[in-house]
Amino acid sequence: MRRQWLAGLMALGLALALLAGGVEAQQKLIRLTFYYPVGVAGPLAKVIGEMTDKFNKEHPGIEVVPVYSGDYDPTLQKVQTAVMAGNPPDIFIVEISELPTLLAMNAIIPLDEYVKKAEGGKYWEDFFPAFRENSVVRGKTWWIPFQRSTPVFYWNKELFKKAGLDPEKPPQTWAELKEMAKKLTVREGNEIKQWGVTVSGGWNDWLFEAFVRQSGGWLINPEGTKVNFASKEAVEALEFWVELMHKEKVGPPHSTWGSTPPDFVAQRTAMLYHSTGILTFLRNSAKFDFGVAFMPKNRTFGAEVGGGNLAIARKIPKERQDAAWKFIEWMTSSENAAAWSLASGYVATRKSAYDVAAMKEFLAKDSRYLVAREQLQYAFGKMMAPNFQKIREILKKQLDDAVDGKVPPKEAMQTVQKQVEAVIKR
Amino acid sequence: MSDSTAVLTGERAPALAMARRFRLGGGGAYFYLLPSLVFLALFTYYPIGFSAYLSLFRWNVLNPEKIFVGLENYLQLWREPLFWLVLRNNLFYALGTIPMTMALGLFLAVLVNQRLGAARSLYRVALFYPTMIPMVAAAMLWVWIFNPGIGLFNYYTAFLGIPRIEWLYDRHWALPAIIIMSIWKNFGYFMLIYLAALQGIPAELYEAASIEGAGAWRRFWRITFPLLTPATLFVFIVAIISSFQVFDQVFVMTQGGPADQTNVLTFYIYQHAFRFWDIGMGATLTTIFICLLLVLIMLIFRYAGRRVYYEAD
Repeated sequence: MRRQWLAGLMALGLALALLAGGVEAQQKLIRLTFYYPVGVAGPLAKVIGEMTDKFNKEHPGIEVVPVYSGDYDPTLQKVQTAVMAGNPPDIFIVEISELPTLLAMNAIIPLDEYVKKAEGGKYWEDFFPAFRENSVVRGKTWWIPFQRSTPVFYWNKELFKKAGLDPEKPPQTWAELKEMAKKLTVREGNEIKQWGVTVSGGWNDWLFEAFVRQSGGWLINPEGTKVNFASKEAVEALEFWVELMHKEKVGPPHSTWGSTPPDFVAQRTAMLYHSTGILTFLRNSAKFDFGVAFMPKNRTFGAEVGGGNLAIARKIPKERQDAAWKFIEWMTSSENAAAWSLASGYVATRKSAYDVAAMKEFLAKDSRYLVAREQLQYAFGKMMAPNFQKIREILKKQLDDAVDGKVPPKEAMQTVQKQVEAVIKR
Repeated sequence: MSDSTAVLTGERAPALAMARRFRLGGGGAYFYLLPSLVFLALFTYYPIGFSAYLSLFRWNVLNPEKIFVGLENYLQLWREPLFWLVLRNNLFYALGTIPMTMALGLFLAVLVNQRLGAARSLYRVALFYPTMIPMVAAAMLWVWIFNPGIGLFNYYTAFLGIPRIEWLYDRHWALPAIIIMSIWKNFGYFMLIYLAALQGIPAELYEAASIEGAGAWRRFWRITFPLLTPATLFVFIVAIISSFQVFDQVFVMTQGGPADQTNVLTFYIYQHAFRFWDIGMGATLTTIFICLLLVLIMLIFRYAGRRVYYEAD
């Protein structure tokens, strides 16, 4: 009896040893953690899962484990927490304005060595210049554009007809926009049944930057060292908002990022400023004909880019960084950039992605998807600075107060200037 | 003999005897409390102490090395208008939710405590239903209910001839909107507590009062209300704590906007600690938050506690 016991134990021990050996053999596989946010509506988590599966199949030595980390904000929090705890995810996507914060935390590595060698040296040049802008700081390339967008202008052709406007002619200038918005606003007594134009809230700081660009100004320099919120152009942009939302009351002063696309679909607003990322949603939901156009100009057309980039963590071994690069290079190849754009509605990040057959075929059917790409020639990098979240809060507070008529635009922008300077100099 | 009379007569004597035995062996009680004390110390008191300690430092994403600054964080908050706006919002929220939720909970508890026949449980479940929905899901629901264009709220009020309100998009209505939603969400829980307490009131008291000729109103104020005071105290404290803990609704529905009109203490802490990554300031706010709550609860026990009527005393 006792002997049987012993034999059993030994067998078990042997089995365990074998098992351990098996585990050890498996550890030679490089397993990478990849945090990614989903910033637009749609089943994008599934798309990312499919893409990583494909990559893993094609690369036997590497296994990328995608971890959906929520919206942009929670993703940044998770990355920051992990970095501070010394256990960062190998690869991650965060919102592009966070680059200075990541640099301040010493969280990521420069990718110049990899970028130089990729695709025979032609890799980096193939990205649209506006998308490249938020990657290069202090002469180094820090991360690779992936899920990228830009704001565009949507208009409801049916409501244009109803208001006696030419449905094929969206406003080209701020002045035209204001006049059309007046005609498109439907009132019943004190109540507004239909807004002329909605500048979406939530990321209104992002849209505001576009208006400043349209006036020919800028808010923060690319190095994140100088701020220009109190500039003539910025004040002018805010004055225009106050005119639309407070004086003429042709646009809602507040809204949320998620609610304005349904508002547009429900014909609650005739014109809409929002990301390119909602085009597919609008196309699938709107029961009327609508158009996509450049955002109207003040002195010039102007936009800035948005979205998230792919980065590699600093505090991981070199071999993991190399493997992570393989993944990033694969994810941003022309074919995959095109596939990702088609699946998500994001703008494809590379010029050559538009030569991919599937992309050409798709664009032939609906040219509205091309507007964002065309607008890129007027687009700039998004403002960035260390502790950008705080800067956003400061700006949004003053924007909200100004469009409610609580603070004159000039004073609001001076307050932003002062407070942001204090944040940057800390 | 009903249960309630058993409570009033000597049948609870064994329990009393047991309690005395424990009082004699006080050390025993501490021994049995030890595991939970250890747990509390590790996961509550230590973090509280540590955050009080951190509140004396400047420590944020741009200053990864902690710098001792004494009370500078507190002074900075004192001078920050937004901090006072946040406190005002908290106060407004508390005044808006607590009395209404408690009154509604009590009123409905008395109603569903009546003989309603088979429909009784149906009523109870229906009234308790909002409480069972997770807060985040409920908040998402109410984002749409409050949508000015296609939302249910404006759809209904339009029938009453009430002009449309922009609710969450209006700086004056955003906080009231959150208050309305929170009342809807919470009254069911208080109703349940009151309902349980109501069932502990002996029916004989009501019978006797009826014989003496007391009307329903008088019976409520002379019997029901005084005998419910322990429950009311409990509900009041829970209501205050939960009013300070309001977060999910704000996070989902407004993110503190427009213009910080719905920014409350918990969200403000969240912004500092996890958005601005300003650990020092987050710790300062947390410490203030805890002190505020402690002082409030002490005051309640001090003043309201005296008016509570425990039948056993």
